[in-house]
Amino acid sequence: MIVLLAQLVLLAVQVKNNQDVRLIRVWAVTAITPLARVLEGVRANTIGLAGEYWELWNVRSVNKQLQAELDKTKLENHYLREELATAKRAEAMAAFVQRNPSKTIGARIIGAGAGASSKVVFIDRGSTSGVMRGMAVITPDGIVGKVTSAYPTGSMVVMITDPTFACGVISNKTRIHATAKGQGNNQLLVDYIQNEQTVEVGEVFYTSGDDRIFPKGLPVGTVRVAKPGKLFKEVYIAPTAFDKGLEEVLVVLEGVHQQLPEWNLQTGEGPMAKPLPPPEGSGDAVPVPASPTPATAPASTSSEGVGPTTDADRLLNRYKELGAEQGVTFGAGGKIPNFNAPKTPKPAPEKN
Amino acid sequence: MFRASGRAGREEYQERLSLQRDEGKFAQGKIGLLQYVTVGVFLFLVGGYWNLQIRNEDVYSLKAERNRIKSFPIPAARGKILDRDGRVIVDNHSSFSVLLSRENLQEEHLAPIAEGLNLDYEELVARLNRFRKRPKYQALILKQELTPAEIAFVESHRDPDTFPELELIHTERRVYPGNGFAAHMLGYVGEISESELNQPEFVKNQPGDLVGKTGLERQYNDILTGEDGQRQVLVNNKGEERRVLGFKAAVPGESIQLTIDLDLQTVAELAMEGKRGAVVALDPRNGEVLALTSRPSYDLSKLASRDRGAEWREITTNPEKPLLNRAIQAQLAPGSTFKPFVALSALESGEVDENTSFGCGGGFNFFGRYFHCHKKSGHGGTSLKKALAQSCDVYFYQVGNRIGIDQIAKWAEIAGFGKKTGIDLPAEASGTLPSTKWKIRALRERWYGGDTISVSIGQGYLTATPIQLAHGMGGLVMGGVWHTPHLRKGDAPQKAARKAEIDLTHVRTIMDGVCDVVNGGGTAGRSRLPNGEFCGKTGTAQIASNEYQKAKGIRLKDNAWFVAFAPRVNPEIVVSVLWEEGEHGPDAALIARDVVKAYLDKRARKQYSQGAGEGVQVKLEQPAGLSSGERTAEND
Repeated sequence: MIVLLAQLVLLAVQVKNNQDVRLIRVWAVTAITPLARVLEGVRANTIGLAGEYWELWNVRSVNKQLQAELDKTKLENHYLREELATAKRAEAMAAFVQRNPSKTIGARIIGAGAGASSKVVFIDRGSTSGVMRGMAVITPDGIVGKVTSAYPTGSMVVMITDPTFACGVISNKTRIHATAKGQGNNQLLVDYIQNEQTVEVGEVFYTSGDDRIFPKGLPVGTVRVAKPGKLFKEVYIAPTAFDKGLEEVLVVLEGVHQQLPEWNLQTGEGPMAKPLPPPEGSGDAVPVPASPTPATAPASTSSEGVGPTTDADRLLNRYKELGAEQGVTFGAGGKIPNFNAPKTPKPAPEKN
Repeated sequence: MFRASGRAGREEYQERLSLQRDEGKFAQGKIGLLQYVTVGVFLFLVGGYWNLQIRNEDVYSLKAERNRIKSFPIPAARGKILDRDGRVIVDNHSSFSVLLSRENLQEEHLAPIAEGLNLDYEELVARLNRFRKRPKYQALILKQELTPAEIAFVESHRDPDTFPELELIHTERRVYPGNGFAAHMLGYVGEISESELNQPEFVKNQPGDLVGKTGLERQYNDILTGEDGQRQVLVNNKGEERRVLGFKAAVPGESIQLTIDLDLQTVAELAMEGKRGAVVALDPRNGEVLALTSRPSYDLSKLASRDRGAEWREITTNPEKPLLNRAIQAQLAPGSTFKPFVALSALESGEVDENTSFGCGGGFNFFGRYFHCHKKSGHGGTSLKKALAQSCDVYFYQVGNRIGIDQIAKWAEIAGFGKKTGIDLPAEASGTLPSTKWKIRALRERWYGGDTISVSIGQGYLTATPIQLAHGMGGLVMGGVWHTPHLRKGDAPQKAARKAEIDLTHVRTIMDGVCDVVNGGGTAGRSRLPNGEFCGKTGTAQIASNEYQKAKGIRLKDNAWFVAFAPRVNPEIVVSVLWEEGEHGPDAALIARDVVKAYLDKRARKQYSQGAGEGVQVKLEQPAGLSSGERTAEND
C-alpha cells in the first residue's frame, strides 16, 4: 500500500513537472549517481596516488644516488683540501728546514696517548731514524715537545702542555730568561720572572737554549696573561705550535742556536711576522747537541744585571762618589776628606 | 687362551705385568717429585713471606713508606749581621738550589747532570762518596744560587723520564758585601767538612750542613743558624707529587749587631785598596771594634757556595795570602810604634824620666856593634818627648840598654803584647814578646844585650799584630785600662777590663810625645788634621836585618806602621795601621788619618743633630777617658 501510494505521488509530481523522462530512470539515476561519483573519485585518486608513489619512488632512488655522489664529491673535496693543506705544510716545513740551521728529521703523528687528558703523542720515527730520548720536537710554528721514549720505528713525545714538561724561554722584547711549564691545559706558565720585571700581553717567548733540549730562537708561545704574583709574576702563554693543527713535526737531531727575531721598538710590532734569520752570518749560531748529553751548549747569562747588595755596598759606592767629588784618594794624602760636606747635586740630563 | 698360548703366552703375560708395574712406579715417582717440588715452592714462598712480613718487616715497611713519601728540607735563613747603627752588612736573599735525591739516583745520570749544572764531575762524585754513610733518603744539595739558565735546565730535566733525582728548592742565600769588604771579619759559610764534624762546636751538625767557616760567621754560628724546616709529600710511582702530607716551617737564625761602624769600615776599606795590610779601629773606652779590615781580600760570595773549587784553589795558592786576616794574624815587628811602650817601661821603672836626655849622632855602638838611627845626621840632644816625636832610635837604644829586656817585657805584657787580645774572632795570633826566659824556653839560648837594643825599637824577636797594637795603645791612653776588643754589640757578656797601676803623668808625657809626632814637627806632620786632634806614632819596620839582605843580595821593602788615637783629649778612638812593604810609617799615618777624620766628622754630625734636636747649637759629649792635660790635673 505504501509503495503504491508513493508511486501515485511520484507520478503526480512527474505530471506536474511535465518532464519527458521515465520515472524509473529518474529514480535509477538519482540513486546511482552519488555512488558513481564516489567510485570515480576513488578510481581517479587511486590511479593518481599510484602514479605519484611510483614517481616518488624514483625520486628517492635518484636522491640516494645524488647524495652518494655528493658525499663522494665532499670526500674528494676534503681529501683535496687536506692534500692542499698537507702540501702547504710540507712547503712551509721544507722552507723552515731549509732556513733552520738545526739538523732535523720529519715525522708524522700516528697516535695519541690513552686518556682524554693525555698530552702524549706518538710519531712514526724511531731509533732507526736516529731519534733518541730527550730530543726536541718542533714545527715551523713553535715547539711541540720532547721525545721521552724512542722505539725502533716510532717514538713517544710528551707535549709542552703536559704538567711534567718545562723548557727555558726568553722574551725577545725584554730578554728576560725564564722557564715555561706545562699546566695540563692549553696554556703554559712562564715561571721565575720577578714581579719588578715587565712582561706585556702579546709578547712572544722563544726558546732560550738554557735547557739544552731546544735550540735557542724557536717560538714557544704568546703572552695571554701577565700579572703580579705572590713570589714571581704570573705569566701565561698560549703555545704557537698548535694553532694550525698538528700532523707533521720535526725532530731536532742536532740543534743550533739562532738569534732571536728583533722586537720593533718603534712600532711595537711583534716578531712573529718576520721570518727567522738565515743561519748564514748569524753571529751566535752555536751547535747544541741533542739532550740528554749536551756537550757544547754554553750556559746563558742572566739579563737581570747586578746581584743583590747590602747597605755596605751602597755606602762604599757613596764614599767612592764622595772621594771623586772632593778629589780625594783615601789613605793617600793630599786633600783631607770632608765627610760632612753637602753632596754635590748631579747635573740634570740634557733634554733633546 | 692362556693355556692355548703355552709357554710363550706366559712369558708375554709376565712381561706385560712387569711393564704395568714399571709404569705404576714411574707414575708414582712423578707424583712424588711433584709433591716435593710443590712443598719446596711452598716452603720458599713461606720463607719469603716470613722474611718480608716478620723478619725484616720494619726495614721493608720503611722502604715502602719512603717510596711513597718524599721529604724535602726547607733550609732556614741565617741571621743577618748588622753594624752598630743597624745597617745591614750581611743579608739574605731568595734563591734556588737543586737537590739530588740519592734514593732515585742513577749513576749514569751524574755526568750529564754535572755538565748541565756546570759542576766538576770528579768533585761531584767525591761529594757523593762522602755522603755514602748517610741514609739514602737524605738528599744532597747539588748547587745553590742557580742562574735562570740552570733553573731552566733542572726544570726541563727533572721529569720522571729524564732525571727524576733532581729537585728544585727555594732557599735563602747569604748576601755578602762585594769587593772583599770586611771579608776576614765577617767570614763565610760553607758545607761542613769531615774534620769539622769531629769538633765539639759542630756536634749538632750533620754532613752536608752549611756552617760558618771563618770570622764572625763561625764565631756566632750557633746564634746565626736557624732551624731547618721540612716538607713531606706523597708521590706516585712516577715520582710525581700528589699531596702535601706535612709541613714544618723553617725558623730563621737570630741577627747579630756589631760594634762596627760602617762609615769607618768603608773608609778603611777604601784607604787600603790595592795595599797589603790591615786597619783596626777601637773605642778604647769599652773595647768596641769600630773597623777591622785586612787586605788583600777575597770575594765572600764565591767562597760561600758549595761548589767553590776553582775560587778556593785560586785563593789558597795566591802568594799574597788573601785568606790571612792580617788584622789579627799578621805577626810582624811593630817597629817604632812599640816605642811608646818602651817609654812606659822606662818611666815606670824609674830609670828614666821626662827630662832624661840622650845624645844622638846618627848611631851608637853597643856590645861591639854599631846600631844606626833612622836619621843618619842624628837628632842631637834628645828628650823623651822629642824622641817619641821624631822617633829617635838611639834614644830608645839607650833606654832599652838601661832598663833591660825584662823590664820592657813586663810592661809590654801588661799592655797586651805576646798574648791574644781575646777578640771574638777565631784563630787570633798571639805575636811574640821576647824576654830572657822566653829565649831560653823557645830558642834554648841566653839573652844578649844586642837583642835588647833591637827590641827597644820594636825589632828583633818582637812581633805583634795590628789588633795588639791598637789594644795596647788604647789601654795606654786610658791610663792603664785595657778593655777586651769585641765585635758583638749588645747584651753579649764581655770580659772584664784589665787594669794596671800606672802613673798618669807618665801617660801624659807619652801622649804628648805621640801627639807631637803629627802636630809638633814629628815624623808624621803630613797627616795633621787642622784641629790638631789626631795623634799617633809612626813605625817603619825592617822585614829582615841589613846583614841578611846583604848576604842574600836582596832589598826588602820595610813595613809601614802607624798607631793613632783621637781626640787628643779624652781619646775615643784608637787606630792601628799595617801596610806591608809600605816602606814609610808616615804613609801609613795617612790611612789612619782618614779613618779618624771619618770618626770625628760623624761625631760632629751627631753632636749637631743632638744640639739641633734640643734647641742647642752644639752639645759636646763628655766621654770618660784620659786627657793629656786637663784630665790628669783633675785626677791628681
